[in-house]
Amino acid sequence: MNRLRALPTFRIDPARRVAFRYRNRSLHGVAGDTVATALYANGVRIFGRSLKYHRPRGLYSLDGECSNTCMQVDGIPNVRTENTPLREGMQIKEQNVVGSAAFDLMAFMDKLDRLMPAGFYYRSLHKPARLWPVAMRQVRRAAGLGKISPDFRYGGRCDEVYLNAEVCVVGGGAAGMSAALSAAESGLRVILLEARPWLGGCFDYRPGPSQDGEPLYRRSRELLRSVSEHPGIRVFTHSPVVGHYTDNLVTAFQTGEPGDAFDYRYIEIRSRTVVVATGCIERPLLFEHNERPGVMQVGCAQRLARTYGLLPGERAVFSVGHDLGLEAAVDLSDLGLEIACVADLRQDGHDEHLVTQLAERGIEVLRGWVAARAHGARAVRAVTLATLDGTVQKRLDCDLLAASAGLTPVVGPLTLAGAQMDYDAHTGAFLPSELPPGLFTAGRLLGLHDAESIETSGRLAGLQAAAHCGAVDAAAVVELQAQAAALPGPQRGSKLVTAPVKGRKSFVCFDEDTTVKNVRQSIARGFDIPELIKRFSSAGTGPGQGGIPGHNLPLLTAHLQGKPPSSFVSTTIRAPLVPVPVAAYAGSRHDMCKRTPVHDSQKAAGGVFRRMGVWRRARYFSDDFSCREEVRNVRENVGLLDASTLGKFRLHGPDALKALQRIYIGDMSKMTAGKIKYAAMCNDDGCVIDDGVVVKRGENDYYFTTSTARAGATIEWFRYHTRYDGWEFHLVNLTDAFGVINLAGPNARKVLEKVADADVSNEAFPFAAYREFTAGGGAIAVRAMRLGFVGELSFELHVPSSLMQALWGLLEEAGKPFGIRNFGVEAQNVLRMEKGHIILGQESEQRTNLLDLGLGFLWARDKGECKTVGEAALRHAENDPGRLKLVGIRMQDPQRAPKDGALIVDRRIRGYVCTARHSFTLEQAVGLALVEEPLAGIGTRLDIYEDECRGELLKAEVVAVPFYDPDGKRMRM
Amino acid sequence: MALMITCPVCGPRNGYEFRYGGEDKGPRPAQRELSPGDWFQYVHANDCADGIQKEWWVHRDGCGVWFTTYRDTTVNREVPPPEEDA
Ligand SMILES: [Zn+2]
Repeated sequence: MNRLRALPTFRIDPARRVAFRYRNRSLHGVAGDTVATALYANGVRIFGRSLKYHRPRGLYSLDGECSNTCMQVDGIPNVRTENTPLREGMQIKEQNVVGSAAFDLMAFMDKLDRLMPAGFYYRSLHKPARLWPVAMRQVRRAAGLGKISPDFRYGGRCDEVYLNAEVCVVGGGAAGMSAALSAAESGLRVILLEARPWLGGCFDYRPGPSQDGEPLYRRSRELLRSVSEHPGIRVFTHSPVVGHYTDNLVTAFQTGEPGDAFDYRYIEIRSRTVVVATGCIERPLLFEHNERPGVMQVGCAQRLARTYGLLPGERAVFSVGHDLGLEAAVDLSDLGLEIACVADLRQDGHDEHLVTQLAERGIEVLRGWVAARAHGARAVRAVTLATLDGTVQKRLDCDLLAASAGLTPVVGPLTLAGAQMDYDAHTGAFLPSELPPGLFTAGRLLGLHDAESIETSGRLAGLQAAAHCGAVDAAAVVELQAQAAALPGPQRGSKLVTAPVKGRKSFVCFDEDTTVKNVRQSIARGFDIPELIKRFSSAGTGPGQGGIPGHNLPLLTAHLQGKPPSSFVSTTIRAPLVPVPVAAYAGSRHDMCKRTPVHDSQKAAGGVFRRMGVWRRARYFSDDFSCREEVRNVRENVGLLDASTLGKFRLHGPDALKALQRIYIGDMSKMTAGKIKYAAMCNDDGCVIDDGVVVKRGENDYYFTTSTARAGATIEWFRYHTRYDGWEFHLVNLTDAFGVINLAGPNARKVLEKVADADVSNEAFPFAAYREFTAGGGAIAVRAMRLGFVGELSFELHVPSSLMQALWGLLEEAGKPFGIRNFGVEAQNVLRMEKGHIILGQESEQRTNLLDLGLGFLWARDKGECKTVGEAALRHAENDPGRLKLVGIRMQDPQRAPKDGALIVDRRIRGYVCTARHSFTLEQAVGLALVEEPLAGIGTRLDIYEDECRGELLKAEVVAVPFYDPDGKRMRM
Repeated sequence: MALMITCPVCGPRNGYEFRYGGEDKGPRPAQRELSPGDWFQYVHANDCADGIQKEWWVHRDGCGVWFTTYRDTTVNREVPPPEEDA
C-alpha cells in the first residue's frame, strides 16, 4: 500500500523499511510503524476473531482499548499490536482462529448467538455437575484469546526505576505539557508521563488552527521544544500509567525505544502532587455490526493518515457526534479520501466554519442522523444511515465507516486516586466532582475543546500543584483562574446512547462479545445496575477492561430502564489500567546477595555454593553431598569453616544490661569477663526465635552473636521490646564488619598455637572461655571463643573482615602438617546433629517453644521482674501436655535415613523428622525429630512415612542424645 | 502500604521504608502474676478501630527508630493527632 506523500505530522520515516513475517510471508513496514499499522499498510483488514462468536475484527482505535488487534508477536500471545512498535524480524501470528483470521472455520459461532444469551455459561453449563468438565474443555477450545506456551522463555530485558517528584503530570498532550512547564517554572521537579511514544496528544496530528492561527501540530511541537529544554522536567514517553495509590504513588510501565537498555521498564513515582491530563478517547457508537472491520473511530482514521501516511479507505461515510469528527472529515477529504456523507447525530451546536468547509468540498452533512447498520460479511461494504428516531433510512456504499458517538474522558487515574465521580449533564461524561488533596485535572478530559482553553487549563493545574507544594502563592493561581474563566468552557457533549436498532449485533464490549441485547437480557433477569451487568454479561472484563464499554454501559443501563443518565456511574476501575507484561514487574532479575570475605578462597578450594538467606555460602567441598570426607576430617584431624554469616552485635550504654535481661530468657546479670554465655531469645509466645552467645567485654559493654537468619531483624527486635522504656543503650550491627572462622577438630589447638600470639593451651584458654589476642605477629586482632557446636575441640575466631583472608591463609598454611581442610555448611549440619545440637528453624518451627526443645535450663526463673519476652507464656505452657518434644531417633536400617520433614505416624500424624542423616562416625542413621509427648520416651518405637517409602513405613526408635561423645569430652580437650 | 509516613527523625517518607508494629497498647504489664487471659489480651488482642488509631511503626529502611503515629484505617492515611492526644 502506498503511503501518502510526506506530511509534517508523520511519525514514520517512509525511507527506512522494516522487515517482518506474518502468516509465513515476508512483509515490510517502515520505521515508526506499529505492528498494527504495518499490517494495515500491507492490506490486512481482519486482525483476529472475537472471543465468543469468532466475528472478524479489525483496527478500531489505534490505542489498544480493545483486544481486536491482539496477536502473537515473537511467541508472546495477546500483544496489543496497536501499541507495539514494529521491529526488524518480528514474527506475527493470529490467535483464536481455526484456519486464518480472514477465513476462520469457527465463524459459524456468530450464527449461534441466539443460543448463547447473556450469562449463558453460568446458567446452562453447571447442571448436571459431571458435564461441566466436558463443557469447559469445549468452551476453552472455542473461546479465548492467545495460547500460552509453557516452554516459552522470555529473552527480553526489563528494568525498573523509582523516582521522587513534586509534580507528576499524567498525559503529555498540550494540557499536560503546559502543566509540566508551569510547575517546572516554579522550580519544582516534574515528571511527565505519556502513553504514546511521543508527546503531543490530540494536537500532534491535527492541522486545525490553534489560538494564534498556526496549525495545532506546530503548536504542540513548540510546546514539546520548551518541555525538552526545561531541566526540571523528566519525560517518559510510551509510558502508560498503570496504577495510582495512596498519597500520590503513581506506577507506570515503559516500552523501550531502539537503543534503550531495556525492553520494558517498571516506573514507580512518589509525587507530592499529580496533574491528570489524560484527555479523551472516543465513545463507541452503538449500531448493528458496529465492530465490522472497516468501522473505526474518527481519530483512528485521521491518525492512520496523518501519523502513519495510510489513507484508511477509499470511500468513507462518517457518523459522528462531535466537531472533531467534522474536522477529521475535512482533513481526510483534503488528503484524498472520498467522503460520501457525514452524518452528525447532533441537531445543532456544530462548528459552522467546519460545516462550511465540508460544503465547499461537496460533502453532505446530515444533522440528526446516525449509522444504524454496517453491511458486509467480512468488511464494511455499505452502511445504512437513519434519523435518530429510525423513521427515515438510506443506504450508502463505502469501505470505511468512521464512527463515534462523542468523547469519553480518560479518568482511570482519577478513580484509582479516589476521586468522586458523577454524571455531568453538560458534557454527558462521568467527571470528578471532588478530588483528593494534591490531585489536579486539566485539558480535554474536562470537556474543553478550544485550544487556548486546553493550554490554559494545563498551566493552571501546574500552578495549582506548585501552590500545593508551597512554591508559588495563591494570588498567582487566582489570577490565572480568572484568565481561564474568560476562555470557552467545556463543550456540550452528545447524549445519544444507541442508534435506533434492536441491538442484537450492536456490541457494547468487543472483548467479551457483549451486545445491547445481552444488556437488556441481564436487566430482564434482575441484574439492573452496571456492576451486576458487568459480571453477568462479562462486559468490560476483557483485556481492554472499560476502554470500550466503560462510558456506554451506565448510559445504556439507564436508557434501557427509562431512567435519567445520571442514575448510574461507571463500573469500578482498578489497576492495572493497561495490560502490563508480567516481565515488567519481574524487573531486572539481579540475584543480589552477600559474599563472605573468604568467598574466593573457598571457591578455589572447590566450594559448592548455595544461596542461604541473603548470603551465598559454601555448602559442600566435593561432589559427595553426603560430606563423608569433610566430616571425617573434622572428627580425626582439623577443619576450617567460614561462619562469617553469623549475626554479630555490640551492645553498650548505661541500660545495656536491662535490654539483655528483657530480650534473653536467661539471667544476663551474672556474666563474668572472659566467659561465654549461651543464651536464647523467645518471642512473646515463648517460642524460640534465636540462640547465640554473649560475652561481656567491659562495664555495660557486650558482644553477642545471632543466627545468620536473625541478624537483619535483631536491632529492630531489641528496640521494639524496649520501646516504652526510654532506656539508653546503643546497638551496633557488626555482622559485615567481622568475619568468623571456626577451627575445629582434635588438631585445632596445634594449628592455632602456630598462629596466635597468646597461650591457647587448655589451661589458659579452657572450654567456654572468651579471649582476645593477636595473631600473625600482632597484625590481626582476634576475638576468640572456645565453643563446641560440632562436638570437637574448636575455636571460633572473630576478626575484622578486612583481615579475614590473612588469618584464613595463615591457618591453612599452619594446618598443612595436621591435615587441615575446608568443610562446608552441610558437613557442619551432620557434625552438630551427631552431637544433638539444634539449629533453629530446622529443629524448630513457629510453634516450638523453649521447653519443647529441652532448653528449659536456659530459662532463669529467678532473675526478678525484668518483663522478659516469652517468660509469661513459658510459665503458662509449662503444664501443657499437648506439645511436641524434640527427641533423638535411630533408624532400624542404618543405611536408610528419612528425608528432613518426613512424617511420624501411627493412625494419624504424630510428629515429624527435623534432620536425619547417615552418620559415618557412628555407622548409624540418626536424627532429631519433634514428636507428641507420649511418644518422647526413650525406647519408643516410631513409624515414619515419606513419599518414597512405597507404603512401607520406616522403623525408628527414640534414643538419647547426644549420639556422639555424650560426655562432651572431645570439645573440652 | 503506599501511604506516606512521617518519621520523627527523617520526616515524611515512602511507606515502604517502614514496618508496622501494631496498635499502641501501652507499656508491657508486669508478668509475674498475669493470668493467661490478660496476657493474651495484651499480646494478641487488637481493637482494629475503623477510624483513627494510634500505632507503632519502625523506620526499618531508614534510621531504625520506633515511634507512634496516627492513621485513619478507613482511608489508610497518616493523620495529625486528634485534639485530645495532641
Ligand atoms: Zn527515620
